[in-house]
Amino acid sequence: MWLNTALGVGGMVVCWLMSRRKAKRLEVGDGWWGSGERSLREKEDESIRPFKIETSDKEIEDLHHRLDRARYAPPLEGAAFHYGFNSDYLQKVVAYWRNQFDWRKQVEILNKYPHFHTTIEGIDIHFIHVKPPYVPHGRAVQPILMVHGWPGSFYEFYKIIPLLTEPARYGLGDGDVVFEVICPSIPGYGFSEAPHQKGFDTRATARIFHKLMKRLGFKEYYIQGGDWGSGITTNMLIQVMLGAYVPWLVGFTREDVRRMYPFMQKNVYDILRETGYLHIQATKPDTAGCGLNDSPVGLAAYILEKFSTWTDKSFLHRDDGGLERKYSLDDLLTNVMIYWVTSSIASSMRYYKENLSRDPALSDNTRFGVYVPAGIAAFPEEITHVPCCWAKMIFKNIVSYSYMPRGGHFAAFEEPKLLAQDIIHFVRRVEQL
Amino acid sequence: MLLEILLILGTIIFYFLRSRKKEETLSFKEGWWGRGQKPDTEEDATIWPFKVETTEKDLSDLYRRLDEARFTEPLEDSCFHYGTNSVYLRKVVSYWKNQFNWKKQVEILNKYPQFKTKIQGIDIHFVHVKPPCLPEGQSAKPLLMVHGWPGSFYEFYKIIPLLTDPASHGLSDEHIFEVICPSIPGYGFSEAPHKKGFNSVSAASVFYELMLRLGFSEFYAQGGDWGWLICTNLAQIAPNHLRGLHLNLASVTNMGFTHLLSILLGRYLPGLFGFQEEDVRRMFPFLKKGLYRILSESGYAHIQATKPDTVGCGLNDSPVGLAAYILEKFSTWTDLEFRNLEDGGLERLPVQVPTGIASFPNEVMHTPQAWAQKKYTNIVSFHLMPKGGHFAALEEPELLAEDILQFVGKVEKEQLWRKKGE
Repeated sequence: MWLNTALGVGGMVVCWLMSRRKAKRLEVGDGWWGSGERSLREKEDESIRPFKIETSDKEIEDLHHRLDRARYAPPLEGAAFHYGFNSDYLQKVVAYWRNQFDWRKQVEILNKYPHFHTTIEGIDIHFIHVKPPYVPHGRAVQPILMVHGWPGSFYEFYKIIPLLTEPARYGLGDGDVVFEVICPSIPGYGFSEAPHQKGFDTRATARIFHKLMKRLGFKEYYIQGGDWGSGITTNMLIQVMLGAYVPWLVGFTREDVRRMYPFMQKNVYDILRETGYLHIQATKPDTAGCGLNDSPVGLAAYILEKFSTWTDKSFLHRDDGGLERKYSLDDLLTNVMIYWVTSSIASSMRYYKENLSRDPALSDNTRFGVYVPAGIAAFPEEITHVPCCWAKMIFKNIVSYSYMPRGGHFAAFEEPKLLAQDIIHFVRRVEQL
Repeated sequence: MLLEILLILGTIIFYFLRSRKKEETLSFKEGWWGRGQKPDTEEDATIWPFKVETTEKDLSDLYRRLDEARFTEPLEDSCFHYGTNSVYLRKVVSYWKNQFNWKKQVEILNKYPQFKTKIQGIDIHFVHVKPPCLPEGQSAKPLLMVHGWPGSFYEFYKIIPLLTDPASHGLSDEHIFEVICPSIPGYGFSEAPHKKGFNSVSAASVFYELMLRLGFSEFYAQGGDWGWLICTNLAQIAPNHLRGLHLNLASVTNMGFTHLLSILLGRYLPGLFGFQEEDVRRMFPFLKKGLYRILSESGYAHIQATKPDTVGCGLNDSPVGLAAYILEKFSTWTDLEFRNLEDGGLERLPVQVPTGIASFPNEVMHTPQAWAQKKYTNIVSFHLMPKGGHFAALEEPELLAEDILQFVGKVEKEQLWRKKGE
């Protein structure tokens, strides 16, 4: 109880201090991420160039070679996934990777959607752009920008794209809402060039993606992404303390309470247990990424551990991390291959340092609210549950908030139909307003 | 805003630590760390000599991996702020491939006698160096020296002769040691435990058995990094066997209210909290020298404390990755060093064995004597060293040896092992 009192008092003081800040519009600014100095005389090449992913015998042989020589350390008895990726199961995954996984076939699958490159702020931005195959006369097509996260990629959206470009075909409504989908790769991830300069953060990314949409001719568009990502404020802590006892007083629903408590167990301990990667990536990304860029087995263990634990926390108790219950090895390894063939693991990790090493209170999304209509799909197996009343602190105009029945962090990958339904439901609401 | 963060962080950590299980007694449990079931037969207590070996196959495999290493270009002007700089790393790898002579290094490793023996189901490797000659009437004092991470028994190779043969190195030969440097199970040539739960107390109990098996009923212990904690635990489980404990790192992890207060006010009222001028110089401004430094240097600890098998996987497979990971610490910790350990309740039990502490200036976190005294209740010597960082034995062997010698001198002269502190 003393904790509650201490925080309550501290919280009130801080609330008062914080309430003196006024909301402002975020400045757009500009940037240059190419190597060396920006050439002021040359105008940036704005062409949009079609692109096909390629591979070679050399690339595949080098991979096989490394897989063949991989060195493993045996797991502790009874460790399951509690110490990280279980190396006994990893050897099975690697055996599949070496002998059955067909990268050439996967590259063909990757190329089934049209890929492009265009240069923005000095670096080449990769994206796929999928238009609906058929649009009924007079029907508006909504452009939607879908942004992946870490350790994912544009490939996460491959199953959901057809549900959004041809919803009627998949039983998702009568086609009143139809999308054309743009999935870029964040600079430093996959086929997008990595920034050469320090300081490339989410603000720069947002600006570049906005320029991309403008270049594609879209004045207005929808955006879809995971990760709420905001700092914990003291306000929220007070609510947490009281929420267990009087949820209605602090604005928690019963489902919120069910998902969030016991608070220490579900939030603090779990967060501490699951954020080692975040801590090292936010401080020493080049160190962490070095070995992973050199060892495909190490890379797979590091990335696939997240696909296990962030899909379902109970997978920690399983010797095989539950990976194949929700995903196919082909899909998982294709995502890993995207990081491997582009050597982008270290640059993808730098994103954490660029975004997290400043004072979190100064981060953009805590200072500025989001006034654009927002829809939130809360999946039950996410690492932390964010109730609507907390989301409202940032998103001032929440049009829909849905408790999803199942699914974890990689929603588009794992439950594409559920997510597509919620997106369509949200867009319907917005278009009616 | 920063105060808010400190308050929240402090209270969360406090709550977290408080709510963990407290151990009331220091039970010395016999562990079993071998594969499968513990056999009914009595453990084989033989000690057999060991030599480090290498083969052409080892070397050519290493060179192949070095040749095929894939590097990522660093950001412009990033130095070591993002971790090990790959441009510098390439130079290291080039030296490693072309000039580093592993066969020669193996010979150097083998210059001290090494042994193995099975304890609690796993093979324990150790170096055992006896003094080359002893003046008449004098006996060698056994000294257990424990390494840490990412170090090894090799860290002690420069200091060993200063302790076994001080006279030849310009040091007083009033106290001469025979030195035992084991490898912590799971490190280097000691077998890794096969069972979960092998912590610092387990390591202390294994090393205690080792010293008993070698015939020492009383000995000194020295350590830094994990060695600090293991030796401290040794002093807590077997205080009657430890004549003295010398540490080149003393971290105190139970944050009481007075600690918090001393952090907030210690800069302005140092005398009130028992801080010396040098303490203030090393610790403040606290956020910069304490909190931020800890946060920026402890990512490895966080991931290793939660997902060690994940992070170790790639490093075991890529020598370049392993070098980048380890060498980053040898770079940063020679100037900055961090330690933040939890030992689940043992932290609350005081250490009464006579203790000597050598505090090196380039550690990340400075622990003033006033704080150390709360845990180590029998501090016989506490010295602020003029230079050096985390890897003291490797970096400043003479300074460390001198401090160990003066500490042992005090203990022996005043027969301090007879009275344990209150």
